[in-house]
Amino acid sequence: MAHDVTPPPEVVCTSLAKTFAGGTEAVRPIDLTFAAGRTTALVGPSGCGKSTLLRMVAGLENPSAGRIEIGGAPPRATLRRAGLSVAFQDPSLLPWRSVRGNIELALTLARRKAGASEIDQLIDLVGLDGFAETRPAELSGGMRQRAAIARALATRPGLLLLDEPFGAVDELTRRQLAQDLPRIWEARGTTTILVTHSVSEAVLLSDRVIVLSPRPAEIVADIPVDLPRPRPEDAARTEAAGALIDRVFAELSKGMAASNPPLAAQ
Amino acid sequence: MTNAAAGTGRPLATGRRGAGGYGPMLGVLVLLAGWELAGQLLTEAFVLAAPSEVALYLVRDWQLMSRALGVTLGNAAAGFVIGNVAAVALAGVALLWPRSERVITGLALLVFCLPLVATGPILRVFFGPGPGPQIALAALAVYYTTLIPLLVGLRAAPDSWFDLVRSYGRGPMSALVHVRAMAALPYLFTGLQIAAPAAFLGAMVGEFTGAERGMGVLTVRAIRALDVEMTWGLATVATAVAILAYVGIGALARRVLLEAPPVILAAPAVATGRRLGGWIDTGLVILLALGGWAGAIWAFGLNPFFAKGPGDVLDALVFAPDAAATRATIGAALAESAVYLIPGYIAGLLAGAALAILLILVPAVASTAMPLAIALRSVPIVTTAPLIVLLLGRGAVGTIFLVAVMVFFPSFVACLQGLRQAPGQVMAVFDSYAAGPLARLVRVRIPAMLPAFFAAARMAVPASVLALTVAEWLATGSGIGSLMALSASLSDYDMLWSSVVLVSALSALGYVLVGAVERRVLAIYAPEQLA
Ligand SMILES: Nc1ncnc2c1ncn2[C@@H]1O[C@H](COP(=O)(O)OP(=O)(O)OP(=O)(O)O)[C@@H](O)[C@H]1O
Ligand SMILES: [Mg+2]
Repeated sequence: MAHDVTPPPEVVCTSLAKTFAGGTEAVRPIDLTFAAGRTTALVGPSGCGKSTLLRMVAGLENPSAGRIEIGGAPPRATLRRAGLSVAFQDPSLLPWRSVRGNIELALTLARRKAGASEIDQLIDLVGLDGFAETRPAELSGGMRQRAAIARALATRPGLLLLDEPFGAVDELTRRQLAQDLPRIWEARGTTTILVTHSVSEAVLLSDRVIVLSPRPAEIVADIPVDLPRPRPEDAARTEAAGALIDRVFAELSKGMAASNPPLAAQ
Repeated sequence: MTNAAAGTGRPLATGRRGAGGYGPMLGVLVLLAGWELAGQLLTEAFVLAAPSEVALYLVRDWQLMSRALGVTLGNAAAGFVIGNVAAVALAGVALLWPRSERVITGLALLVFCLPLVATGPILRVFFGPGPGPQIALAALAVYYTTLIPLLVGLRAAPDSWFDLVRSYGRGPMSALVHVRAMAALPYLFTGLQIAAPAAFLGAMVGEFTGAERGMGVLTVRAIRALDVEMTWGLATVATAVAILAYVGIGALARRVLLEAPPVILAAPAVATGRRLGGWIDTGLVILLALGGWAGAIWAFGLNPFFAKGPGDVLDALVFAPDAAATRATIGAALAESAVYLIPGYIAGLLAGAALAILLILVPAVASTAMPLAIALRSVPIVTTAPLIVLLLGRGAVGTIFLVAVMVFFPSFVACLQGLRQAPGQVMAVFDSYAAGPLARLVRVRIPAMLPAFFAAARMAVPASVLALTVAEWLATGSGIGSLMALSASLSDYDMLWSSVVLVSALSALGYVLVGAVERRVLAIYAPEQLA
């Protein structure tokens, strides 16, 4: 199963900044290194610039300053090798293709091959067994997001970018995914960047949590997560995890307070 | 109906298909019964043939009719293919080179505004005997109605789908193959569905002038002979062909597509007015049109006796000794036509909108009327022009009515579609405030209808000019259509070309004016449409 895996790259952002053409400053110059083969979570208030940061790493948005290196090369080189996958915040499945069809399209685009059984396994993994031939219009919002996750995994990318992949997924399924997905990216040793709104998810899934300030995004805190793996479902309730979650929350509200005092005062 | 279902817009599609079963059939039966009754009662008037009489005629003369039908169908099919291939090619150029899109659509509009009846005789001289003009007119009748939805369709995919393609390192070519082409398919079918009956109409109009065989030839003969049964028989066959073509392509679309093709009548209005780019493009369109016109005459080495270039027309209208007389003649004819055109156009538009608004308040009726109206929209109204003139006389009433009918169906279908497309979530908000149907109509549905209404209003400008000129050419003997017919038969090519140029320019101007009103209104009621 481990054939044809792109080796996980290290991602280095140097003074990376983004100001949109309209003048919106989304990301303040950021220096950040995402370690190879590890999972890093990005948390921050809505609209702070998380998706923008991720899109720059994916080579979909040009930085207005600074640079990104993926495994020592610019994002474009990684793109050309189809060395990364993005699970977008909006699942962006093609409506005229089934779940399987969407996954196959990703493989075609990435010029990779995967056996039917491998695709089936992925579909099972995200809990869509029985829906392989279903079109997106007949899936719920959460099911679509899970299909997008399966699609992102299918090409065996060395770098996996997940933008709030569980946003519309129900709590129980989220927990199940939080159990199953890390197993895959650990087995493959993928470099994963996970944007999430859920603090406990960030802690449970990642090796490190980066807390961002409200827009324009700046790094407020960089918190290593040294909980042992594998992390069972109740790992979030251990004392160590609880402490980490509290700390992330504290940093988040500190960041909020700095930019928006009245709200934090309540 | 769950919220999730409402969000995807599925109930609309299934509802339409469900109601498509018996409603239209019932409608057709009622229509037939009314027609028969009127035909029997008015039999003294000699202008209305009852369905039974038409059927008898068709049975009796089926050989003549089927031979003519075969010829016209062949011409229409050739024009259909040529016109649509041209549309796809033009859309491709606009896609590869976005800067050219406005010039392409501008030129395409100008050509679409050519009065087909007068283009016929000019093409006749160019092609000589044979099917050339019929096929050319069929192609001219379809390329625009395919080009516009296709351009919309090629841009209909959300950015995130292109991000997906890019995130796997693939370029515009992959995006075209895997995303754009597929996303544009429903829009292409929308265009083809309207194009199929239009091609038939174009071929018939081409046959009006100097062809030897075909439905158009028979139509002219029937009118000249005042053969009421034959005229009605021809109109019935043309209508049946149009509806079958429309339904056939619709059925094909449903086999290929996931949902019914979207209803689109024109591209969203492009804000041109104030920006310099708009003026430059407009100038470029005019320059290219004039250049292409002069260039074609030169390249084909056409006989200057009938092939008039831009200079000749300018001469005839401005510098020639009889220029003032020419201007006066054309001006008088245009004024005569405007008296019929403008009231008919406005009446048709408003009647379409009003009926759509009425029907939406009675949803059961709306879902029955919709498929019927969509099918009827495809009827080549123009082929029934002689009938309407026969029925209502050569005076104002008949002609205005004809123009109104021509405008009514597109307006009605577009408005009904617009009214039904009121965004589900916004409606849900109004539901939650327990707003009555009237409040919803005024605050949500009518604003949601406006873009479709104006799209129809723009496309209706050339359509109404076509209807009017055909009626004048064939039947009423007044106005610009009649002047063009007269000039063609007298070989007064200066007059003919000048009329064609002025009618096209005025149609295009009308289109642009409606677009300007549209932008004003949408800026207030539906600003998101102008983004
Ligand atoms: N293409 C764009 N052009 C201009 N401004 C943009 C664009 N994309 C995003 N922005 C702005 O940049 C800021 C950051 O947006 P971004 O999508 O990165 O936020 P986010 O952190 O992902 O928010 P959320 O958690 O709600 O998804 C916002 O203020 C947004 O309005
Ligand atoms: Mg985001």
